[in-house]
Amino acid sequence: MKPFDIVIVGGGGAGLYAAMEAMKTNPALNIAVLSKVYPNRSHTSAAQGGANAALANKAKDDSVEMHIFDTIKGSDYLADQDAVDVLCSEAPKIIRELENIGTPWSRMEDNTIAQRPFGGAGRPRCCYCADKTGHTILQTLYEQCLRKGVLFFNEYFALNLSVNGSRSKGLIAMNMKTGKVEAFPAKTVIFATGGYAKMYWNRSSNAAGNTGDGQAIAYRAGIPMKDMEFVQFHPTGLRKSGLLVTEGARGEGGYLINKDGERFMARYAKEKMELGPRDLVSRSIETEILEGRGFDSPAGKYIHLDLRHLGADLIKSRLPQIREMTLNFEGVDPIEEPIPIRPTAHYSMGGIDTDNFGRTVMDGVYAAGECACVSVHGANRLGGNSLLDILVFGRIAGHTAAEEAGKFEPGSISEEELKENVEEIRTRMQPSGHYERYGALREELGQTLALNVGIFRESSLLHKGIEDIAELKERFKKVRVFDSSDVFNTNLQQVLELQNMLDLAETVAVGALAREESRGSHTRIDFPVRDDEKWHKHTLATLVDGKATPGEKPVTMGRYELQERTY
Amino acid sequence: MTETIDQHQEGKRDVTFRVFRFNPQVDSKPYFDDYTISAERGITVLRSLNYIKEHVDATLSFRAFCQAGICGSCGMRVNGISKLACTSQVWDELDKCREPGIIRVEPLRSLPMIKDLIVDMDPLVDKMTRYSNWVDSTMPLAEMGKKEFLISEEEFQQYDKATDCILCASCVSECSILRANKEYVSPAVLLKSYRMNVDSRDGIHDIRLAELVKDHGVWDCTHCYRCQESCVKSIPIMEAIHAIREDALESRGPRDTSGAKHAEAFMEDIEKKGKLVEATLPIRTNGVVWTLRNLLPMAMKMIVKRRTPPPPPLVKSAKGIKVFRAMFREMTEHVKQDHLKSQKK
Repeated sequence: MKPFDIVIVGGGGAGLYAAMEAMKTNPALNIAVLSKVYPNRSHTSAAQGGANAALANKAKDDSVEMHIFDTIKGSDYLADQDAVDVLCSEAPKIIRELENIGTPWSRMEDNTIAQRPFGGAGRPRCCYCADKTGHTILQTLYEQCLRKGVLFFNEYFALNLSVNGSRSKGLIAMNMKTGKVEAFPAKTVIFATGGYAKMYWNRSSNAAGNTGDGQAIAYRAGIPMKDMEFVQFHPTGLRKSGLLVTEGARGEGGYLINKDGERFMARYAKEKMELGPRDLVSRSIETEILEGRGFDSPAGKYIHLDLRHLGADLIKSRLPQIREMTLNFEGVDPIEEPIPIRPTAHYSMGGIDTDNFGRTVMDGVYAAGECACVSVHGANRLGGNSLLDILVFGRIAGHTAAEEAGKFEPGSISEEELKENVEEIRTRMQPSGHYERYGALREELGQTLALNVGIFRESSLLHKGIEDIAELKERFKKVRVFDSSDVFNTNLQQVLELQNMLDLAETVAVGALAREESRGSHTRIDFPVRDDEKWHKHTLATLVDGKATPGEKPVTMGRYELQERTY
Repeated sequence: MTETIDQHQEGKRDVTFRVFRFNPQVDSKPYFDDYTISAERGITVLRSLNYIKEHVDATLSFRAFCQAGICGSCGMRVNGISKLACTSQVWDELDKCREPGIIRVEPLRSLPMIKDLIVDMDPLVDKMTRYSNWVDSTMPLAEMGKKEFLISEEEFQQYDKATDCILCASCVSECSILRANKEYVSPAVLLKSYRMNVDSRDGIHDIRLAELVKDHGVWDCTHCYRCQESCVKSIPIMEAIHAIREDALESRGPRDTSGAKHAEAFMEDIEKKGKLVEATLPIRTNGVVWTLRNLLPMAMKMIVKRRTPPPPPLVKSAKGIKVFRAMFREMTEHVKQDHLKSQKK
């Protein structure tokens, strides 16, 4: 295949924005987008709530500066302040740009883009389209990419980076339709593959494919992961499926109620109540449940999200998807009954270590979106900042790669290297003797993570988690692929995804054990307070001799000094 | 897998999934496999398929991603109807089986088969491209990102429902025209085209519409409503198709294409006689030359079989034509008023 200037892995918000921006920066470049699903299926579509930008359409006194402060405070001061500057200053521009190219934002009475309050934000600055914001943004970006003739390789599963010393030569991927392992020699590669929170499996709100493929590929190639221990639990997952009820439901005025009929958030965040930041609300719910004030059912303990007082009209007009979802998956109509919910693994703050331009430590390799860690979310992401992150840094990564592609020689990937990748898969497909089922391993991984590396963490639990993961990795060697077909072998794909999750799970658990403090989403029962002296820094995890090896990196400070984080 | 109290109380029901199988590498033709499992209340078809793949037959192939009804990956036919597997309840489906206890699961129709329940979505993407299913913004490039378009709530309402579309292709699979003509634009693409055409930010309305009125375009729809009935997001797709046609008649004129002429001839007959004057319909739609060239052999056969429609002078007005005409005038007036109202907006 002819070498590419840029190969983008992932067709969600970050990948598509990167593609658009790269084409704009230099139309002469040869760019490809690889995606394991059709781009319009990407998980960006599931983001319901909205994207933050200080447009000041709703609150006239809102400002970029306030957005910056909210984000830094929300991150529990672990975000890099220069990166947050970029995120928030670019926000109004990027939201308007999306508006300009067709995103159907909901509107205010004066016909400007509508905004609503969101957790952890001092002003109502979350721009939205009903409760389908991510879906409409993804559609817009996909439409624009089709308009510009972006070259898509849909349903290609990325396998490995091809590396020569300190630089990448391109990507190796499997064409799902044919099963053929193909080389994509490229000057630059941008990873935009989304998060890794699906490793919590049934206790996760994520799509089945959010298995951290890009991170795992980069990790195996020696690129460090950053702040992997920070996994956000969304406060309101549906009890049975872990599926998400958007924060918009609380933004519109929903109550959290325990079994005593109490609006218990008064105990934890007197002022913000239900609109406290996600980590705090999740912990509050978990505490209520642990202290016996939750409802009980064989599907697990839960509390109520009550929307009934909002009235049928508002629920139908502003939260239609939520109603549909609770009806379909929980059999509950929020107009009539409260929704049973409990926290669910939702977002990965950690990811591929990048600078503010999307560069990784490896020449020619970039990352953006949830799969990257710049870091703008630090120890805890604010609602409405993730869509913003993928748009802003997707665009920046696309721009940087387009500018820098000329610096690198086109790599070439040898037939031998391709064969190695094929060989690895073949072995997996014909093991002999005793074998393991990937489905069982996947479920066990989710269970041990939720139990031992979940919302409340502690040394002995984390040790158990690490042991379990090591054992699962050992057992994984005996996992067998039963489908011998070359055509659309989803059995093989799921096994490879499990491998990616197992590799990353180790970094999450190791990072969580190392960080002996409580900060943002990371809560250690044995180290209940934030320890700025020892732990105001990023953790790194690099693969050395098959093991996650810890490292660290300072946090970039700026205008804001460390403060206690209260709401 | 989690269980709830009510599931314990209500127990489980045995269900057989009769699943369409086809692997182009080894199978010369498709066949069905039966998988019997027991399913509790609240379990979806997708969760059952996942269970079968994990525990019974790992070779069973289907697409699934978000599992929450928003990504559109798991479109398939369940008991003959195209829908999302992830939002279809097994117990509901058990009540709709043709053979008791057997749920049939098949791939979507009208798209090329790849393997088992997986079909090729590329033809749909190609059509989205052909019909410019994007906003071509009137905002000058230099102004991009600097200011907002001001959009009224009324305008937003016009395309709000249409932007719910997740391209699951259920409508594509159910469309009766597509089954006969794969080149037909398809309901999803018409819906998206409509959504773009009513967006005031878009600058290529006329170009898009010109493409839509060509062969295989908007006039080929036969109003069977299958698309709308099967839409997993309950989008009124037929309203969008009607809106494109009205738009075409209005902005391109009633003598624009054979589709428009056909619609006009219909209106003319209905207004005059309350029924169709079939003998001249093809001439008024496609002209004399086309009709002679294409329909003469059929006309001959019809004469032989004595099946020719009566000549126009012999078509009598329908019974109660006066009352009907009054109703017709009233409706036409309503439509005009609606147009004026929407134009004022």
